[in-house]
Amino acid sequence: MGQQARMIEFSGVNKWFGPLHVLQDISLTVGKGEVVVVCGPSGSGKSTLIRCVNGLEPFEKGRLVVDGTDLSNRRALRALRMEVGFVFQSFNLYPHKTALENVTLAPIHVRGLSRAEAEARGRALLEKVGLGDRMGNYPHQLSGGQQQRVAIARSLCMQPKVMLFDEPTSALDPEMINEVLDVMVGLAREGMTMMVVTHEMGFARKVADRVIFMDHGAIVETAPPETFFTAPVHARTRDFLGKILHH
Amino acid sequence: MLGGLNTRVMLEYLPEIWQGFLSTLWLSAAGFLGAMALGVLACALAIQPLRWLRAPAVAYVDVIRATPLLAQLYFLYFGLPRLGIVLPEMLIGIIALSLNSGAYMAEIIRSGILSIPRGQVEAGMSTGLSYLQRMRLIVLPQALRATVSPVIGQTIVLVKDSSLLSLISVVELTRAGQRIAIDRFMPVEGLVATALGYLVLYYALKSAAGAWSARNALPGRG
Amino acid sequence: MFWFYAERILGYWPVLLKGLGMTLGLSLLSLLIGAAIGFAFGIIRAGGNRWLSRALGIYIDLFRGTPFLVQVFIVFFILPAAGIELSAFAAGVVALSNLAACFIGEIVAAGLKAVPQGQREAALASGMTPAQQMRLVLMPQALRIVTPSLVGQFVLLIKDSSVVSAIGLLDLTRAGWMIVQSVPQGLMVFGTVGLGYFLICYPLIHLSRRLERRGQDALL
Repeated sequence: MGQQARMIEFSGVNKWFGPLHVLQDISLTVGKGEVVVVCGPSGSGKSTLIRCVNGLEPFEKGRLVVDGTDLSNRRALRALRMEVGFVFQSFNLYPHKTALENVTLAPIHVRGLSRAEAEARGRALLEKVGLGDRMGNYPHQLSGGQQQRVAIARSLCMQPKVMLFDEPTSALDPEMINEVLDVMVGLAREGMTMMVVTHEMGFARKVADRVIFMDHGAIVETAPPETFFTAPVHARTRDFLGKILHH
Repeated sequence: MLGGLNTRVMLEYLPEIWQGFLSTLWLSAAGFLGAMALGVLACALAIQPLRWLRAPAVAYVDVIRATPLLAQLYFLYFGLPRLGIVLPEMLIGIIALSLNSGAYMAEIIRSGILSIPRGQVEAGMSTGLSYLQRMRLIVLPQALRATVSPVIGQTIVLVKDSSLLSLISVVELTRAGQRIAIDRFMPVEGLVATALGYLVLYYALKSAAGAWSARNALPGRG
Repeated sequence: MFWFYAERILGYWPVLLKGLGMTLGLSLLSLLIGAAIGFAFGIIRAGGNRWLSRALGIYIDLFRGTPFLVQVFIVFFILPAAGIELSAFAAGVVALSNLAACFIGEIVAAGLKAVPQGQREAALASGMTPAQQMRLVLMPQALRIVTPSLVGQFVLLIKDSSVVSAIGLLDLTRAGWMIVQSVPQGLMVFGTVGLGYFLICYPLIHLSRRLERRGQDALL
């Protein structure tokens, strides 16, 4: 992988919550256009891992470079966040803004787009995620799946270079999971660089370039999906897959 | 400004300040007891089903909450003698404090009872508890728990409100502080001594509330 | 007998009206000034700077822990000793605004803390500055949470303003106090005064309750 092609690069990243070692010597490189799925049991540090990429979690040791910016440079953090989209498990839509306003808020105030420009962009994106008829609705008037699609559009409207997803379907009712995954699959096929924390192994099979298994704050196994699902090397990975696949 | 505080004069008047402090303490205690009695009564009337008993309780709470304590105090102080009821100022003060805080206590107790989720009552029913058992074993223990902090909060208000009794010449902490001001033309010393006295009571009550809620917090129900 | 005194009290209507105007003017002005300072207090109290927040907390406690009457006396009698001469009205505005700021500060801080952490994170993740997070995301939501309490606070201010009558400001309570000196009918005089307060405060109490109920519905 050439130097230009590196989008996210962890080298020896360590993080502690008090005595708890939540990230242990993480070294990982995500290339431009790559889709990486991160899975693992709860408390394995997978959410903490991708929250680091957007500077939502500080870490104590190691180096993390995203799109050429070293995250230890706190001043560059805000500029970086404009290029890195983040989709939360609990959507975190702004309840006092309509769907369209949620999507255009940051482009107008952070990117400095004109309202007209931002709205044109926002409308197109809401159409794209299948919510063309919901632009004027407030979050509480939307289903969970719809809210999460608005949240994805909100991140995309900043035209980010990387999209991070933190368990985007875990808070959804089963019948709404696919409408969100479909949007994410489309995004992956368009060549977006993505890091996705999820247990949706169907999604991983379909679009992931690599699947990472984490446990106790460390990366246990990294492999392309074919190998990962058919011939996992580590016992802990097999154990975990056994638990989530046979239900 | 506080650099020039004449501590000698403050010490000289310490016995009077102490007396005032004790008066405030027992006026507040009397007001608290009256307020709790009135509060429980007004709340009981407000949540029972008979309309003609509910109306006066609701009117009492609304009128008190929509008018200032000082106007209520003057109403009694200037009004009662015309009805032939001559009472010592101190007693008028206690009545006014009780009437005033009683309305707030009623609201606090009522929302404590209303805060108990319906599911709690239903759980009690489903295990065959009678109405009185449900009240005694399930609703009231939780409701009382929920009212302790706001009751202490209202007690803080009551202690501070008792300073208004100085305006109908009841001698308590505020009035005692004014003595220094008037006798020695030293308003600063008098007011600082007064304020310190109230702050002692405030912090005592506040830490009591804090300690109580730290010890009795129901998980998940703040 | 009743009508005789009623007529005499009503004869004082210009004083009562003036007092009512003073009560309203004093409380409104103090509400505006107090809210402006109180929002700043609230942002500091809910903000990241621990020491600043604690220092302000101690200041606020000083005023939450002492009677308003004592505060009014302090402003009226101590500030002149420091060379600041204030009229009764100015002293009232200073004391009442300060009290309002302290209470509103704590209300706003609680409102800001009640906004879910995820909201700040979403704003942060999209690259907003702290000021933008506050203005665009946190404060509008906190405002919704605290509006009923702010209306309730206004009621408390109107009632507390009666205490300023103790330094001779002619507000509604003082008007009653003056009238009762010549018309010795305390129940009727202060009944009238009480009615004046009631007519202003009661609708506000209802408004506050309605806003609270609507707020709870909106959260469902």
